[in-house]
Amino acid sequence: MIAALSAATAIIAVVVPFAGALSLLGPVPMGLLAYRCRFRVLIAATIAGGLIAFLVAGMGGMMTVAQCAYIGGMIGVVKRLRRGTPTIVVVGLCAGLVAGVLSVAALAVLSRLRTLFFDAITANVNGLARFLSHVPYLDSAADPLKNGFATLLTYWPWLIGGASVPAVLLVTLIAWWALSHVLNRLSGTGELQKLDIPADAGPIAPLPVRLGDVTFRYPNTDHDALGPVSMTVEPGEHIAVTGVNGSGKTTLMLVLAGQPPTSGTIERAGAVGLGKVGGTAVVMQHPESQVLGSRVADDVVWGLPPGQSVDVDTLLEEVGLDGLAERDTGGLSGGELQRLAVAAALARDPSLLIADEVTSMVDQSGRDALRQLLAGLRERHRMALVHITHYNNEADSAERVVNLTGGGVADNTEMVELAAAPAASSPGHARTSATVLEVDGVCHEYASGTPWVTTALRDVSFVVHEGDGLLIHGGNGSGKSTLAWIMAGLTVPTAGSCLLDGRPASDQVGAVALSFQAARLQLMRGQVDHDVASAAGFSPRDTDRVAAALANVGLDASLASRRIEQLSGGQMRRVVLAGLLARSPRALILDEPLAGVDAASQRGLLRLLEDLRRRTGLTVIVISHDFAGLEDLCPRTLELDSGMVAPASAAAGGAA
Amino acid sequence: MSAPAQRRPVVLLRPVPGTSTIHELWAGTKLIAALGISVLLTFYPGWVPIALVAALVLTAAWTARIPRTALPTIPRWLWILLAIGGITAALGGGSPDIHIGSAAIGLGGLLKFLRISALSIVLLGIGGMVSWTTNVADVAPAVATLGRPLRWLRIPVVEWAAALGLALRAFPMLIGEFRVLYAARRLRPRPELPTRRARRRWWRVELIDMLTAAITVALRRADEMGDAIAARGGTGQISAVPSRPGWADAWAALIVAAVVAAAISSELLLGSTV
Repeated sequence: MIAALSAATAIIAVVVPFAGALSLLGPVPMGLLAYRCRFRVLIAATIAGGLIAFLVAGMGGMMTVAQCAYIGGMIGVVKRLRRGTPTIVVVGLCAGLVAGVLSVAALAVLSRLRTLFFDAITANVNGLARFLSHVPYLDSAADPLKNGFATLLTYWPWLIGGASVPAVLLVTLIAWWALSHVLNRLSGTGELQKLDIPADAGPIAPLPVRLGDVTFRYPNTDHDALGPVSMTVEPGEHIAVTGVNGSGKTTLMLVLAGQPPTSGTIERAGAVGLGKVGGTAVVMQHPESQVLGSRVADDVVWGLPPGQSVDVDTLLEEVGLDGLAERDTGGLSGGELQRLAVAAALARDPSLLIADEVTSMVDQSGRDALRQLLAGLRERHRMALVHITHYNNEADSAERVVNLTGGGVADNTEMVELAAAPAASSPGHARTSATVLEVDGVCHEYASGTPWVTTALRDVSFVVHEGDGLLIHGGNGSGKSTLAWIMAGLTVPTAGSCLLDGRPASDQVGAVALSFQAARLQLMRGQVDHDVASAAGFSPRDTDRVAAALANVGLDASLASRRIEQLSGGQMRRVVLAGLLARSPRALILDEPLAGVDAASQRGLLRLLEDLRRRTGLTVIVISHDFAGLEDLCPRTLELDSGMVAPASAAAGGAA
Repeated sequence: MSAPAQRRPVVLLRPVPGTSTIHELWAGTKLIAALGISVLLTFYPGWVPIALVAALVLTAAWTARIPRTALPTIPRWLWILLAIGGITAALGGGSPDIHIGSAAIGLGGLLKFLRISALSIVLLGIGGMVSWTTNVADVAPAVATLGRPLRWLRIPVVEWAAALGLALRAFPMLIGEFRVLYAARRLRPRPELPTRRARRRWWRVELIDMLTAAITVALRRADEMGDAIAARGGTGQISAVPSRPGWADAWAALIVAAVVAAAISSELLLGSTV
């Protein structure tokens, strides 16, 4: 993973030579890797990162990655040994010496390349000298420059060897400084890998399993995340597990998958066998991150023991992905990715399949297909299915429903009601308010002009008025996110125009606020007040304005000093909104604001937005594949279908 | 539809749509050929090797039907930089001289500059050829096959190949997330700072924040991927079909070997070229 990050810096460092700062910071992720993991991991990352860099930037890229690993590995190890700056200075000096000797040796071997480089540079210097000799006042510098450079070159081993010591030392110190700060910020971001389950020996037989008063508490927390829970799972059963966010649904998944509980008893027939043939298989919430192969067929077999063969085509047919075996996984929709994950689980012929909120990040049609797939699985396989969900219609098909009430929080389970897609509507009355955004004939292509061109939007036109509430909905790849970026001025459309108050939106980045789907990516500072202040453009010491901004989105001022990592998903989204709204944007665009948020938080967020719109006349544009509860916030609907405005709503857009 | 003035972006790690003999070659052959040629040019950066490799790259590009539009638009600053380098090098003079009337013009400097530029272009071209004709999904299995002999030395090649495959899989996702990070930063106002010291401080904080955010993103992805790997019961197979070379690969290897041999012998026979 970090290899990819490091390679990313490497490409940028080679492709954009002016972004020198990034190549200086390339060692930091490598250092983090050396600090946290074994040396072997650093080697694997270097090899993988080096090969990727070679693919994108040739030998130079590979060398950059090697350098990053060299310096990063050094500072990471010194950090792990808890040594301070004096140590790193000494180590940096030694590393510089070694690097100097190595580069001199390399240049000595590559004599022809060396001669070519030196000759070319000499030609440049001589040319410069000749130019200077014709410039008044500077002509006296010409000869010393020419001769001095020639003399320097005769001592090239000393020059290059000597220069590499301060150069390496400088890079090392910068990387050390950056790594120290990054580690400081990252400390306390506990709870890393969740499925870090001790391997269990013995014959694999996860079922039947009997849980007796099981509780689970994460390290360094003061309350139980789960339980006490008592339940049994018999072979071939279909059980639905429901409960609000924070009631321990995912923790229950971990316990069923083999995580030892904090207290209580678990009786199993044999070993859990997570991911093993005939054992336990898990499908999780995030569609993208659990697919490990770059190609559909490769992903199905990924991780199977060498030599074991499965009928990939049959499996893909069962989950409704027949004929896609050769496709790249990068191009699949969320629903297709989840079905692929189910196929990979089925390849292990599991006795127990746990599906943990598998539909929450998937659009409507994908959700239906997944639900049908899961409901039909038991007719074809002899396995038990534990389906963790917060959608009521998904729990309906189960034989038994286990309702988690959460550790001490005896809330009633809030289940999300799914709403039917509203027909694209036209505004009931003629609007007289001012025009904010005018999207006129917008077309957008990615990689325009190259063989890889993909069209995201075709001839989209509509108008947004002041105080409007507009829902833009469409399936995967309908271009709705591209449209959001264009309206925020972040992307310049390849054709057509997007005007904000009569001027191109791209000249006024920041005037239209955009809340991205991944709220965490939008929070850059370490602490809530710093982030809100930075997003809004005032000083974090201005506590009144921070408090006002937080109050505006229904957050208590006491949250101001909280660290970003300690916020819940719903709180993160509100903090983002606080920062964006504090700048009084002309319009607010929300990209999938409800994805992955539980029912109670969804309702709270919607109520907040409705209130804001009514109270302050805020113009709100929501990009979503969800419809539930959005009718009040967004009276107007625009449907996008493969980059075009769907016919029914074209009238609405045009008439508006 | 697209405006002609549109700049073409750099597209890497994605094959040009369609198929060809070059597309169908085993990824391992292409990797070895690219590595071998890069090493050759590092040791023998003469005109003859550069010309031979350039001819090979052009032939391969023609066979793979890579259109000229696959090349990114060259930014203006690069042209300016090239012009400055070319002019100063030309002014530098040196042998060989050409005589126009009574004036002698030394071409040595310009030739050196052109050779370095040609070398860089050819080296980038080789990388581009591999990148534009190879599906990234084929790279990791090919590396696993190529590295098989190293397993005798107890080198964890399988682990490396799995890491490479996962990194290539995660790469586009991370790039997407970095794009969002960058966009989110653009949406923020830039504070007006009166003093240089305050500006420098702001930049330092900004740098650490961006770096932390990027690392946090990567770590979160890594954790989720770790969970996904655990759910699969650890590493094992990485590819559904065996990855091995065919007859076409033998021919391709032969051609590349012939070019390399010709380049080396020309260099050794002609000695150090101009």
